[in-house]
Amino acid sequence: MQADRDGWAWRVAGRAYMAVGYLFLVLPIATMIVFSFQKGQFASIPGQGWTFQWYGKLLEDGALLEALGNSLIVSPLAATGACVLGFLAAYAAHRFRFRGRGAFSVLLVLPILIPPLILGVAFLGLLSRIGLQGQLLSVILTHMVVVLAPAMAVIQLRLGQMPSALEEAAWDLGATELQSLYKVVLPFALPGIAGGWLLAFTFSFDEFIIAWFVSGFEQTLPVAVYAYIVGSIDPSLNAIGSIVFALSMLSLIGVELLLFPLFLSRSKSVN
Amino acid sequence: MDAPTADRSSPLKAFAIGLPLAYSLAFFVLPLAFLVLLGFFVVEDFQVVPALSLENYLDIAQHLFAQSNYALAIAQSLWVSLTTAFFAVLLCYPMVLAIVYLAPPTRHRLLLLLAVAPFWSSYVLRLFSWQLLLAKKGIINSALAWAGLEDLQFSLIYTQIATRIGLIHYLSPILIVVLYVTVANIDRDLIQAARDLGATRWQAFRRVILPMSRTGLVVSGSFAAIVSFGDVLSGALLGGGAGTSILGSVPLFSNMIMTEYASSTNLPRTSALAMILVLVMILMLAAGTALAERNKIDAG
Amino acid sequence: MLAGGGAPPAVDLELRGIAKSFGDFTALERVDLSIERGEFVAIMGPSGCGKTTLLRIVAGLESMSSGQLLLRGHDISALPVHKRSTRLVWQNFALFPHLDVRRNIAFGLTLGRHDKAAVRAKVEQIAELVQLGPFLDRRIGQLSGGQKQRVAIARALVTEPEILLLDEPLSALDAHLRIRMQSEMKRLQQRLGLSFLYVTHNQSEAFAMADRVVVMNKGRIEQVGPPEEIYTRPRTHFVAEFVGNNNIFDGKVVDVQAGLVKVQCADGIISAATDGRPPGRGSTVSLVVQADKVSSRPSGVPAENSLGAVLSGREFTGSQVIYHLETAHGVEVKMVAQEPFGQAERAGINTTMQLYWSPADTVILRPNIVPSVENIPGRRSYVALGT
Repeated sequence: MQADRDGWAWRVAGRAYMAVGYLFLVLPIATMIVFSFQKGQFASIPGQGWTFQWYGKLLEDGALLEALGNSLIVSPLAATGACVLGFLAAYAAHRFRFRGRGAFSVLLVLPILIPPLILGVAFLGLLSRIGLQGQLLSVILTHMVVVLAPAMAVIQLRLGQMPSALEEAAWDLGATELQSLYKVVLPFALPGIAGGWLLAFTFSFDEFIIAWFVSGFEQTLPVAVYAYIVGSIDPSLNAIGSIVFALSMLSLIGVELLLFPLFLSRSKSVN
Repeated sequence: MDAPTADRSSPLKAFAIGLPLAYSLAFFVLPLAFLVLLGFFVVEDFQVVPALSLENYLDIAQHLFAQSNYALAIAQSLWVSLTTAFFAVLLCYPMVLAIVYLAPPTRHRLLLLLAVAPFWSSYVLRLFSWQLLLAKKGIINSALAWAGLEDLQFSLIYTQIATRIGLIHYLSPILIVVLYVTVANIDRDLIQAARDLGATRWQAFRRVILPMSRTGLVVSGSFAAIVSFGDVLSGALLGGGAGTSILGSVPLFSNMIMTEYASSTNLPRTSALAMILVLVMILMLAAGTALAERNKIDAG
Repeated sequence: MLAGGGAPPAVDLELRGIAKSFGDFTALERVDLSIERGEFVAIMGPSGCGKTTLLRIVAGLESMSSGQLLLRGHDISALPVHKRSTRLVWQNFALFPHLDVRRNIAFGLTLGRHDKAAVRAKVEQIAELVQLGPFLDRRIGQLSGGQKQRVAIARALVTEPEILLLDEPLSALDAHLRIRMQSEMKRLQQRLGLSFLYVTHNQSEAFAMADRVVVMNKGRIEQVGPPEEIYTRPRTHFVAEFVGNNNIFDGKVVDVQAGLVKVQCADGIISAATDGRPPGRGSTVSLVVQADKVSSRPSGVPAENSLGAVLSGREFTGSQVIYHLETAHGVEVKMVAQEPFGQAERAGINTTMQLYWSPADTVILRPNIVPSVENIPGRRSYVALGT
């Protein structure tokens, strides 16, 4: 916008609003990180001094760390499963023209649009009938259905950039479908698969409700945290929160690095 | 276009379509279908009896206004979600306007990334932080006391206002991104033309930007309302399960379903309640879509 | 269409009655064509004429609705693409971005079990042939357009195909490079003695490189022949309009005598030389005259044609000047100037000029319902006589 003098009031107001807005967005995270290092059972200002005790408590107590460990088993596996299914589905939608192709894509993306509360009840209903509820496996299987959506979306985006001539060239040179798939398509799709994996991982890692319904004594982190919160005010939650934040930040930076170039390059050129 | 000869005899095609489809049918369609069905089963002697009956729904209807008071819970949920959606959009929209029109274009990506930052921490844990902030002797109140402003202290925790704060914080990242796409797509030339014709900034906003944002605003508002209606965490952790609002100390419908599930062993009944939740959400979606259609602006 | 002379040449590729429809839309209508060993055949035509579809059918990337495809005598109609020994070179190269030049070229050889050393030797040999030697370890993104095209060709050739298919391979290169690559490609083809089936929409490219040119329009072959023949003796109305700069006059035959056919056209009588079977009196014909056979000065040839027209425009193409004129009845005539500073140069727009050309340079096209190799039985088309 031009720097005309009479607009300065709007600009000041606008900037102030943005500052307040970002403060609001960042507040709980900042709180979490700051107070993970603060003494005192009840967070308040002024603080009561700095400490590492809550991180120590995490290690001693072990319950939250164990839950973190469970999440670190569940989420990567769910993400991997989702990427396998997502790649196959994205490839099918990209290459084959079949009746119901649109419905196929919609069906696979639908789970993420359904309120997780409903999904939680539904999954429990099914899993308890076949005796698969209450395990980490249950969470993996159900998360896969839901995080399939972001994984597939990202992979589809990447495959959309692949010129059809590429696979045709591979076939023309003598490659069978399978050979073309893993020698040409897969290498090309790799950034999309990686980005999709990270996104799926992040979704699964943070997912509470479905996990709450289908898991049992082995809890994922959000479920364990919830139990803690409802049970008592425990500052070690700040500690685990800060750790989770750091982890998520790393994986989302990875997503950003992998995905933004994909979003920006709209050309279908081979290079 | 006809399929290339390679497609004709392609076992890969069957596999690539079949595997994800089978998984989706088994672990998505089936459970949902079963959920609908389950709402019609009954529990006798702690066993689920697969006999179709309307008993659950009749039972719920009986308790609609009495005892469990489902109707009130639904009203509370509607009230909270609609007001949340309204305020969420109201607060995010100026934010987006500031980003699009005040910040240099090179900064937009960074600003959007920062707006999405809350996404980087767990929802549950963020709510825990909000608890710390909003508690009676929490961070904000103690800071006010420390600064000598005791009179400004408030008691927000376990009210639906707190629930709304949690929800708005949860929804903001998505709303900002969606609204950004809407506003950023408004042709700058139109605004410049308006200014050139003598419009003040406010007029340019009211006559050009706002009308062209209408569809985006309605869509994000509907989205916010629907997601809020189905949310359980904010209501449970910040609202205290039965947070107070002008409707009284009434739980949200979604929280009610969770408590029912936790306390009773009647899964069919919980399923029936869940179906009612879905029904209301579908109605909200229909209303939102109708509203969006009416507000559609042709760019041409 | 077999070339004449000597021992009967080996036929590399034979298309018999190839037809292709997409639902209601007919992309190809019964195409028949034979290509001999070592022939360079160019297929030329406007967009949508079906040339690329035809090429892809030969490659196996499209299925045909009916017809037969024979490669060196073997019926490959039902053979899937990856089993055919045809190779395709794409317009946009279709190089694999995650592999370097060496691995791109070697791709076709490394699919099954292979001898690494032998493959390496073959790759280096072909790289030398297309002058890519020093680039073997570069990544695709580091190459120029011309280099990428060479990699694409090398990749196809190293697998020793029985015929090479090229889909407008030079269209993505700039004009100068394109012309250089044309001669390189022709030399390569002759050196290898490999048949090339080359699709292009660029006339000069087709004429420069091909032994025979196939002109296609709306899914049909209009004419097949050596470049000179296509240029000087168009056989159908479409070819006359599409190739070179031709003038077309429609009219009715009023007199036939002594090897000369007199045709009454809108602006007067035009004479065309003929031998063989002249059209009968009263039949409708089209007369084709090349623009560079038209002059503003009479040459004194017996029965020379003369026509008055108004100069409406001048087109400078660098190598020649094309004059656009219009007759009293609105027929457009084009003339290519033979003398740069002749009379025509000095004439201004809207001047009336007299145009001259010889009957010998006038080609006759008439509707023909006699079945022949180029025609589908019963189909009406204009076919030149006396050729």
